[in-house]
Amino acid sequence: MTADVSAAPGRPWRERLAAWAPVLILAPSLGASMIYVFGFTLWTCWISVSSSTLLPQYDFVGFNNYVDLWNHQRWKIAYGNLLSYSVGYVLVSMALGLALAIAIDQRIRAESGWRTIFLYPLAVSFVVTGTVWSWLYSPDAGIEFLVRRLGWTDFDFRLTTHRETALYAIIATGIWHSSGFAMALFLAGLRSIDTDILKAAAIDGASPARIYRRVILPQLAPIFVAVAVVLLQFAIKTFDLAVALTGGGPGISTTFPAMFVYDFMFQRGQIAIGAAGAITILAALAIVLVPYALWSTWRARREAAQ
Amino acid sequence: MTASAVAAPLDAQARIAARSHLANRAFIYTFLALFAVLYLLPLFVVIANSFRPLPEITQYGLISLPQSISFEAWADAWSTHCVAGTCAGVRRNFYNSLLMTIPATIISTVLGALNGYILSKWRFRGSQTLFACMTLGVFLPGQIALLPWAYVLGKLGLTNSVYGLVLIHVVQGLAFTTLFCRNYYVNIPDDLIKAARIDGAGFWRIFRRIILPLSPPILIVTVIWQFTGIWNEYLFGTVFTSGREQPITAALVALATSGQTARHFDVASSAVLIAALPPLLIYFLGGKYFVRGLTQGAIK
Amino acid sequence: MFKRTGIVIAFLCAWAGAASAEPKTNMLHQWASGSDAEAIAKLGEMFTAAGGKWEQTSIAGHTANTLAKLRANVVAGDAPPAVQLKGPEIAEWNATGMTANLDELAAKEGWDKVVAPELLPVMKPAGKWVAAPMNIHRVNWLWASPKAMKAAGITELPKTWAEFNAACDKAVAAKLVCIAHYSRDWTDATTFEVVVYGQNLDLFRKAFVEGNTEAMRSPGMVKAFEQYRQMVGKYMDPAIASRDYPTAVSMLSKGEAVFFITGDWNIGVMTRSGMKQGDDYVCGQAPTDWGKPGFILNSDSVVFFKQKDPDYVAGQQLLAHLILSPAFQTIFNKAKGSIPARLDIDLADFNPCQQMAQKALQASIKEGTLVRTMAHNMTVLQKYRGAILEVVTQYTNNPKTTPKQAAEQMADTVEAQK
Repeated sequence: MTADVSAAPGRPWRERLAAWAPVLILAPSLGASMIYVFGFTLWTCWISVSSSTLLPQYDFVGFNNYVDLWNHQRWKIAYGNLLSYSVGYVLVSMALGLALAIAIDQRIRAESGWRTIFLYPLAVSFVVTGTVWSWLYSPDAGIEFLVRRLGWTDFDFRLTTHRETALYAIIATGIWHSSGFAMALFLAGLRSIDTDILKAAAIDGASPARIYRRVILPQLAPIFVAVAVVLLQFAIKTFDLAVALTGGGPGISTTFPAMFVYDFMFQRGQIAIGAAGAITILAALAIVLVPYALWSTWRARREAAQ
Repeated sequence: MTASAVAAPLDAQARIAARSHLANRAFIYTFLALFAVLYLLPLFVVIANSFRPLPEITQYGLISLPQSISFEAWADAWSTHCVAGTCAGVRRNFYNSLLMTIPATIISTVLGALNGYILSKWRFRGSQTLFACMTLGVFLPGQIALLPWAYVLGKLGLTNSVYGLVLIHVVQGLAFTTLFCRNYYVNIPDDLIKAARIDGAGFWRIFRRIILPLSPPILIVTVIWQFTGIWNEYLFGTVFTSGREQPITAALVALATSGQTARHFDVASSAVLIAALPPLLIYFLGGKYFVRGLTQGAIK
Repeated sequence: MFKRTGIVIAFLCAWAGAASAEPKTNMLHQWASGSDAEAIAKLGEMFTAAGGKWEQTSIAGHTANTLAKLRANVVAGDAPPAVQLKGPEIAEWNATGMTANLDELAAKEGWDKVVAPELLPVMKPAGKWVAAPMNIHRVNWLWASPKAMKAAGITELPKTWAEFNAACDKAVAAKLVCIAHYSRDWTDATTFEVVVYGQNLDLFRKAFVEGNTEAMRSPGMVKAFEQYRQMVGKYMDPAIASRDYPTAVSMLSKGEAVFFITGDWNIGVMTRSGMKQGDDYVCGQAPTDWGKPGFILNSDSVVFFKQKDPDYVAGQQLLAHLILSPAFQTIFNKAKGSIPARLDIDLADFNPCQQMAQKALQASIKEGTLVRTMAHNMTVLQKYRGAILEVVTQYTNNPKTTPKQAAEQMADTVEAQK
């Protein structure tokens, strides 16, 4: 359906205006979005191949900044953390979400109550989540303090004070925040499965576990992918949670790429290297999202053809 | 599902089945309850500690039953606590967040609905590509936009102001709201629109008479998601505003990282609640529609 | 006092005559809380009393956050009229050409004669006055709790690192924590640079002032890392990563810890928490192996960016004048724990530790042992300092890194920034 913009003579100006309405309304949004998506990205790209330090410089120094970036110890720690965090956060959130969804699906009572409890963390900002959990993890007022007060005076629960375990604290808190989201989607998926197939399988004598493995989980496959993609892109952008929970510490052991970029661009006055980091984060997101977009378009076309 | 066998006849096999059914139920409820405690623990801690006097918290820790009640922390957090130089609590920051989130949510939702309507029902050459390009904005990491926005805000004279943040969130939110609305409106049959056009209806009338009445589900989801996302946003709030102009998430971090003074858990807990209540309230009131819309949007 | 008021009045008349601009300012700084915030508030009071409109933007957190805000403002075309900047940052920003020139005011008030000579190259990076120094902090202090010292049987403050280790062994035997510490990248670096300085003055100059990477690989640096490892592993407690500043100070006041190694901004913090010099804490020079008075210098200063609005320009001149005025130097430094940047101020009613600092400054200048601090951003560029701090704080929190590895890492990461 195309917009009818033919200005036939004699048509009142109001009609003509209404005919142009779609374009007029879309244009500012489109313009702003194009500047935002492409303009900003191209500008950051240019800075990443320049020699900018304190302020932007518009010259060209090749890909030195990217080389420096990947040789930088702090960046290596950052993307190492990101890989560990992504795997832990995505997989466990999905597993926990699935388990909770299956449990809630068993026709239990007060279902919406349970659902509300597990989903509410999503409405809370990462900053609040990180801040409150940092208090819970602190040895002098949180969980360790509680258990010691209850009698186990040797109990140790100092995840955030040791560099080897601090990352696990962040992963655990991230899972707390997002597994409700996975649960909600899996629950909706479980509900949308055709009960006739299930009844047929039950009549055939299949055990519940078998039914789950052979019938239900395969049907949930697209949801698995969708949840994984959404969680993965949350993980890649991790900034608020880490800043609020550990501030990147102890030392720099829980630094993330997004924190690296902010630090170098703003605090350290090395804008070019920061920009190189930002472009790298963008590339990581593209690696995750482009195949997904292509795959879902292919799937949609295939379903439409059937 | 298959395990919920119904009425229990009196033969042995059914009795065993009934017992294992009970065991199953017990297991499920225990599992859920355990995790429910874990999920509710932080909420309980924060609520309880905002009503306890600080010496009690220091002595008994954060996770303990309250022994005395004090409302001081709330008054302190709201209007007298010192946050980054000024000692006026977080009241002003709360209003800043309202001033930033409500306009940004409304504007981005309205524009998103209109854009979605246009891109799904008034297609033109290249509209698919343009839509795809717009959608990219959903996934852009914030750090790419920091310095360019600093430059743009400077040129527009909107530095260190809530209105600058409104602009940022509207532009960045457009991608998401357009995506959601467009994917929803695509499901409205084209025949409806065709029939209306044959009857002589134009752009606006079709929008008012056909599209809008069908929109409440997606609009609710969009509004809730946008409100929550914009209210909870931290990075841009902390970079582009300072002190009294900051939204409440940035003020909360400034309050919690006190530096030279001992941590005031009671005041910080109140501040956390002040910061978290609006999205939580919206979630509790509209959560049903939210989940419905979420599942519709993600399972494409 | 009358002299000061007279100067201010004359100043204002001159300005009122020349350009009827109303001085106003908006100072960007990191002193958002506690005794620091009180000290800056005094500057605000003086500015207002002199007829100016005072506004400030205080950023929570350490210097890095203030620098981030500065950059965002400058890119937005909104450079602040006054900002707290120090060390090599002053030179870097000066090189952009955006900073205002204070030579006229400096000449009129004779700053070159009264400001400590070590500060001049920092405040005048290209030979012209760009920054107004507010104070001089001494970093190499050793604070001690008399209560804990008594409990551990330590009779006097250790003078060399060998004595320090011996004293700490006594403290550990008495089941006390020897060194109160809270781990941040800058606090770890402060303690470490005090160790390096105390062991080997030449090494400090080469590695931390000049940024020489060969010096960072040298056996002297490895030895410093060994001493630091002993301090972190044996004399500090495991909770350093999650502790905060006030809790560390309270360890001293309660007698749980014996020593605390940090600069004299600590005086402001301790006074505010109710501790009294002599009763609750004593001070002394941090251990040095070369037996002379030593001084690691840190200085806060204010830099002014060129402004178009004449009110801001007038405000800058007034602010710079006030900062260098004896009245402000006295009031501000009393509150902050540091000593004035002007050499001609009488410290009669300052804290005894501050008086010690001034004597140490004079002595250290005479003996040629005065250096500027690396940990607090007065020597090498922020990109090198950042690299060094990362290595030191990682070393602090990772017991598996050997001293030799740490030294190599430090040299490698600094080299990578060159």
